[in-house]
Amino acid sequence: MATCTVSGVRLAGIASAVPERARTLADEAPTFGKDEVAKIAENIGVKERPAAFDGMCTSDLCFAAAGRLLADLVWARDSVDALIFVSQTPDYRLPATSCTLQQRLRLSKRCAAFDIGLGCSGHVYALWIASSLIAAGGAKRALVLTGDTSTYFCSPRDRSVALLFGDAGTATAVEADPSAGPMHFVLGTDGAGRDNLIVPAGGFRRPHTPDTAARRAGDDGNSRSAEDLFMNGAEIFTFTLREVPPLINAVLQDANWTKEDVDAYVFHQANQFMLQHLAKRLKLPKEKFVLAMEEFGNTSSASIPLAMSARLAGPLGERPCRAVLAGFGVGYSWAAVALTCGPMVMPGVLRVSGSVVGAESPEHA
Amino acid sequence: MTKQEFLSLFEEILEAAPGTLKGDEPLPGMEGWDSLAVVSLIAMVDEQAGLTLSPKDIAKAASVADLISLLGDKIEA
Repeated sequence: MATCTVSGVRLAGIASAVPERARTLADEAPTFGKDEVAKIAENIGVKERPAAFDGMCTSDLCFAAAGRLLADLVWARDSVDALIFVSQTPDYRLPATSCTLQQRLRLSKRCAAFDIGLGCSGHVYALWIASSLIAAGGAKRALVLTGDTSTYFCSPRDRSVALLFGDAGTATAVEADPSAGPMHFVLGTDGAGRDNLIVPAGGFRRPHTPDTAARRAGDDGNSRSAEDLFMNGAEIFTFTLREVPPLINAVLQDANWTKEDVDAYVFHQANQFMLQHLAKRLKLPKEKFVLAMEEFGNTSSASIPLAMSARLAGPLGERPCRAVLAGFGVGYSWAAVALTCGPMVMPGVLRVSGSVVGAESPEHA
Repeated sequence: MTKQEFLSLFEEILEAAPGTLKGDEPLPGMEGWDSLAVVSLIAMVDEQAGLTLSPKDIAKAASVADLISLLGDKIEA
């Protein structure tokens, strides 16, 4: 596994945004039946999921979160040197969504901006890149924007995904600070798992056709198209059992922390059953293990910062906190960081109305 | 883990009444045997026997006895 320690960089703040509209268990009951919905919800730990308004993109949610964060930080817009947008649901095939966000956020033309196409592991990957850029002197301040509108590619008739995924966008501010403690990163990849969490068609390997867009019932009784998200939950679960415990042990060892030294474990909010099993297997102190799925679902690369906004805004706003963040899933790709963060700016979770769609972009101005 | 202990825990996963499983039941169409039960079975075996079952092997199992045989010598005779 790739390992790396970065010093002299701190997290300055995190803001998260979700659509104010949500899908509830009652919305899904007519499709799957009330008892089945209750059973699945109990297992995955999700009661409602924010769902994007028609036309709302991940960038709209990140735009709202970043605008609030920059205002609360009182950062001059031209002081941001780098913008990294992490998503699997960009605005366009091209240009990169980060370029449109540079303009919408009125950042300087001297700002470097680029996209990263990762999901579950994406937030920690982007923190690694942003902090490494800053440590190397390539930037002083960076914005990491992460999120997905996964509900767009979840078939409403596929019980393996329809009740699990929610939409969110987040903003994390990262800046140079010579007094900041080290961040210990461990990262890895196993592309052999690509078929277990995939939208198979609609890209260039298998372009869109009317056939790829047609939803059909499969052997498992679920109906989806080749342009919908497919998830093999059992394979993903065994992947996490294999990779996550060594990942966590590796960052703890690099940081020279015991399990008890850590104030908060924030894992990618994949599925509550799976998270609780991993916590038990790793013997992590229960009160330090953050769960934030009930009202958000699985929000892909937004889930770690969203969990921090929703569950840790108080403590992170007030004092230093030893945190282990870990993302793992689609790819397969995984990454963890052990870092001390806070006190930092924590505006919490913003609820965004449909009116923000495309706001302040040239074609809507 | 004994075979009886496995059957008791598997009954909990299937939400079946205690003592109803004998071990030779066919899996396809069995009440409660769905994708959530597969994940719960993997978690239970990981916790109780320290063994990660392969989802592909589980899919090939035709009966409860086939599942038990996947645990090999983790099931006490």
